[in-house]
Amino acid sequence: MAIIARKQAAQIQPQGATVREQLRAMDDSGVVSAFLGGEERAFSELVDRYQTRLLNFIYRTIGDREKAEDLVQEVFVRVYRHLHRFDRSKKFSTWAYTIASNLAKNELRNRSRNPLVLFQTVQKNWQEDDRPLQFEDSTSRPDDMYRKRYLREIVEESVAKLPEHHRNVFILRELEGKSYEEIAEITDCNLGTVKSRLNRARNSFAEIVAPYME
Amino acid sequence: MNMDCRDFREQHLCYVDDTLPGVELVRMQMHLTECPECARHDATIRRSLMLFRSLPRIEPSPDFSKNLERKLRDAKLADSAAVRTSRTRRLGTAVTVSSALMLAYIGFSLRQVDTPQDIVLPPVVALASIADTQMSSSPAPEMLAAVPAGLPLWTAAFFAEQTPVHFASIEQTAAR
Repeated sequence: MAIIARKQAAQIQPQGATVREQLRAMDDSGVVSAFLGGEERAFSELVDRYQTRLLNFIYRTIGDREKAEDLVQEVFVRVYRHLHRFDRSKKFSTWAYTIASNLAKNELRNRSRNPLVLFQTVQKNWQEDDRPLQFEDSTSRPDDMYRKRYLREIVEESVAKLPEHHRNVFILRELEGKSYEEIAEITDCNLGTVKSRLNRARNSFAEIVAPYME
Repeated sequence: MNMDCRDFREQHLCYVDDTLPGVELVRMQMHLTECPECARHDATIRRSLMLFRSLPRIEPSPDFSKNLERKLRDAKLADSAAVRTSRTRRLGTAVTVSSALMLAYIGFSLRQVDTPQDIVLPPVVALASIADTQMSSSPAPEMLAAVPAGLPLWTAAFFAEQTPVHFASIEQTAAR
């Protein structure tokens, strides 16, 4: 397998300047093969592809932007170290999300053991700089903008209120668009459990948000 | 066959995700037209999901790549240090084991050299009486020569090996 990977990398290398474009045109499996074959730039391609997705997934799960960035970097460090052990018959994205999900879970577990960290995190989340402002439309009237911002806060708080294992499944499905099967693999649950958690998460979320939507 | 509200709620997940087979889909849609409660539930779920999906995506900070590079560099250094440590440890173990084996071998060899080995001699059987030996016309000359010459006893014992044969011949002579 290493020989195949090296051959694939060798096919890329002579072109030099267009390597990045070639890598961009490849699917994940091709990029992984190129990296394992010695093409270091392939790793940057994987980072480009997944940094924002993983950041949003972890951020929505733990609710702390700074910590989320740290954890995404940790995901990539682990990917870099262990990519040679990755089972290439499986999807790279599922593997990356599995690492991210486990790190987010550990972070939440550590927080529940350390109330001080939780407090600091909550405080940090309330700083204005941490709030993305794209939710507002600058052409809207001020009262509309206020309403939208308020609504966004409600939505974020409502997600945070979901139990951890429901929230995880909910974000993977609704934000990341993962299939039930992929979610089952990432969260290490069976398909029935995933469906039941997702159904409950949707109902709970709708129940919390509904009064603010009227 | 009409669907009840319980069935509708159970299948609602797949209905929203468009993963229901055609027949089930039609039954769900029919139930929606008949049941205002379930229709409201369906609308609430869809609207809340729409709201959630429209949350703004956050982007990595400008320092993200720089910090990641630093962490990767640290990880590489840590990995190579770990490899070096493990190699040194393995070499150290090999040296210790071979030294121990060598010492054991030397000790064993020295012990074997120091241990006095017993000289096993064949038994000496005297067949003739003292009187017979005195009668003998020719007693073992080596024996006679050894004693006054002050030779060690073991040399005498070595020469004594020949005496039984000699005594036997004397015995035969006496009987004649």
